[in-house]
Amino acid sequence: MDDMTKTASPTDGIVVGGLAVPIDAVTHDRLEQMVDYIMKYCLWQFNSRGWDRKKQNAGIIPRTAQLLCGEEIARETPGDRYYWVEAVSLAEAYRERLPWLADMTREEIKTLLQRLHERIDYLTVDGSLNEELTVPHY
Amino acid sequence: MPYHEFDCSTCIPERKKHAVVKGPGEDLTSCLPLGYLNTIPGSISERGCAYCGAKHVIGTPMKDVIHISHGPVGCTYDTWQTKRYISDNNNFQLKYTFATDVKEKHVVFGAEGMLKQNILEAFKAFPDIKRMTIYQTCATALIGDDIDAVAAEVKEELPDVDIFVCNSPGFAGPSQSGGHHKINIAWVNNKVGTFEPEITSDFVINYVGEYNIQGDQEVMLDFFKRMGIQVLSTFTGNGTYDGLRSMHRAHLNVLECARSAEYICDELRVRYGIPRMDIDGFGFEPLSISLRKVGRFFGIEDRAIKIIEEETAKWRPQLDWYKERLRGKKVCLWPGGSKLWHWAHVIQEEMGVEVVSVYTKFGHQGDMEKGVSRCGEGALAIDDPNELEGLEALAKLKPDIIFTGKRPGEVAKKVRVPYLNAHAYHNGPWKGYEGWVRFARDIYNGIYSPIHQLSALDISKDEIPTGRGFLTARMLSDSSLSDDIRNSQVLKPYDGKFDPIAGLRAKTYPDFERLARTASAAATAAE
Ligand code: SF4
Repeated sequence: MDDMTKTASPTDGIVVGGLAVPIDAVTHDRLEQMVDYIMKYCLWQFNSRGWDRKKQNAGIIPRTAQLLCGEEIARETPGDRYYWVEAVSLAEAYRERLPWLADMTREEIKTLLQRLHERIDYLTVDGSLNEELTVPHY
Repeated sequence: MPYHEFDCSTCIPERKKHAVVKGPGEDLTSCLPLGYLNTIPGSISERGCAYCGAKHVIGTPMKDVIHISHGPVGCTYDTWQTKRYISDNNNFQLKYTFATDVKEKHVVFGAEGMLKQNILEAFKAFPDIKRMTIYQTCATALIGDDIDAVAAEVKEELPDVDIFVCNSPGFAGPSQSGGHHKINIAWVNNKVGTFEPEITSDFVINYVGEYNIQGDQEVMLDFFKRMGIQVLSTFTGNGTYDGLRSMHRAHLNVLECARSAEYICDELRVRYGIPRMDIDGFGFEPLSISLRKVGRFFGIEDRAIKIIEEETAKWRPQLDWYKERLRGKKVCLWPGGSKLWHWAHVIQEEMGVEVVSVYTKFGHQGDMEKGVSRCGEGALAIDDPNELEGLEALAKLKPDIIFTGKRPGEVAKKVRVPYLNAHAYHNGPWKGYEGWVRFARDIYNGIYSPIHQLSALDISKDEIPTGRGFLTARMLSDSSLSDDIRNSQVLKPYDGKFDPIAGLRAKTYPDFERLARTASAAATAAE
C-alpha cells in the first residue's frame, strides 16, 4: 500500500516531537501500517486547530489501546461515547487488518499504541506545516 | 519540500509554494502546499467570492425560505440555477431568486428603504413562505446599509415571519470559504436555540455539511430513517429554516463536508456539548464504516449492519462491473474543497482508477492534509490553480478524465479530456451505495463515450473516415478484458432507475419502539 507516512528507513527510527527515535524495523513497519489506516480511513485526527487535534488523538488512541487489550471503557457523557465509537471502529479495523496484533501481549500493545499516539501527534500537530493550527478561534 | 513550479507560473514566483508532488518518503511534515491565502495578483483564479460561499453554497439550499441578495442584480443572477441542490418542496429555492437590484442612486442615497420594500413585496408575493434570509454584498456593505435594523422593523410589522441576516460581502475572505465561515458562525449566534422542535425518536442527529446535490441528502436520510434516527436538521440541503433553528436539541452532529460546515459543529460542541462525528458518505467501505459509527453511538449498530448487508449485496456486483473496466484509468481529482479527500482514496480502492492529481479551489491546508494523505505517491497537489496551470498539468499528466467544476471542465473538454462535474454531478445522486455505482457509470460513460473518436479528428487536416461506424463504449471497454470478466454472470452494469429519488419520497418507514415509551409502559405495568 502506498502511504504518506514513510519518513525514514526502518533503521533510522521515527520522528517524534522533532526527535528521531530509534526503533526496530518490525515496530517501524507495524507503526506505518497503523498510521496508514488512520490517514486513509479516519478524519478525526484532522480537526482544524492544533489543540483540538491533540484532544482528539488523546481521546481516541489510548481508548483504542484499552479496547485492544480487552478493557472496558466508560461512556457516560456524549463526548466519552463519541470517543468510544471512534476507538471501537479503529480497534475493529486493526484486528481485522493487522493479524500480528493477536500475538502481542497487552504490555506490547500499550507500548506500540503509545508510540502511535506520539507519531500521530507529530504528523498532525507538532510537525505539521498547516499554518492554521494556531488560529485562536474556530 | 517537494514544491512543483509550473512553467507558466515562473513569472509569479509565489505560486511555487502552492503545488507539491507527493514523492517517495514524503509525509505531511514535508509535503503540503500553502492554502486559503489571498489569490496572487496575476494568477487568474477559479474561486468564488465570500458572498457566493455564504449564499449560493450554504444559505440557498434551505428549502422553505425566500433568499434575497441585497446588492446589484448580477451578484445573485450570475449564479442562479447553476447549482443542483434539489428539494422535496418542488424546488422552491431553486425556482425563485430574489435581489434588490441596487443601482448608482442607491449607492449615493442608501438602499435601506428599497430593501424594506423588497422584503415586504416578496412576502406578499409568496404568502405561504414565512422565512427569509438576506445577504449583504460588496456594494451594500460599503455604503453601510444596516440590514439587521431593516429586518427588525419588518419583523415588528409582520410578527409571523422570521428573518436571518448574513453579513458576508464578497471581499470578506480570500474565497468562498470565507463566506462558509461567516454564515456558520452567524447562524449559530443568531438562530440556533430559537425554536423548540418535536422530538420523535430516542436517536436524534443533525446532518451537517450536506447540500442535497441531485438528492444526496435524501439518500442518506433514507438510511437514517431505516435505522429509526430522527434527522432534526440538515445543514443545509433540503433543510428547513426552523429545523436549523433547533440544532441545539440533537444528540450528535454527523458531519459530511467539514470544509464548509465544521465551524458550526465545533461551536455546537463547545456551546451545547453535542459531539461532532465526521463521516464519509461516498464509497461502499467508508459509508459502511460511517453508518456503523452512527449506529454504534446510539446502540443500534445492528440496524446499520442490516442496511449495509442489503445494499452491498444489491450493488456490489454492479460497482465491480465498472471497476473491471476502469482499472488503471488516470484521474485528476480537481473539485472545490472536500471531495478531494472524500474521494481520493476510495475511488482508487473501489473503482480501480489512479488519482494522478488533486487540487482545491478554496480548500484550506487542512483539506490538503487529508487529500495528500489519501492519494498515492507521485500525485500532484495544487492549491488555487489558475487556468494555465490546469492546462499545463493536463498536458503533463495526460489523465483519462477529470472531475471538476464546469468552468475548468469546459476548458478540459477543449483539450479533449472528458470531465465530470464534481460539484453538481452528471447523473447523481452519487452518495449511498446505488449513488456510488451511478458515479462509476458516469465515469465509464465519460471515458468511453464514442464522441471522442469524432472529437479527436481535426476537420481542417484529418481524413474523415466515412466508410466505417463508431466503436461503441462496450467495444472499447471490453476489448482488453478476460473472457471470464467479459462474460461474467455476476457482474452487471447499472440497472437502477433514471430518478432514484422519487421512490424515496414516497417511502414509508418502520415505527421503532421508543426506549422512553418502553420504559414508561414497563413502569405503568409494574404499578
Ligand atoms: S465579489 Fe461582491 S460584487 Fe462580486 S459577486 Fe461577490 S458580492 Fe457581488
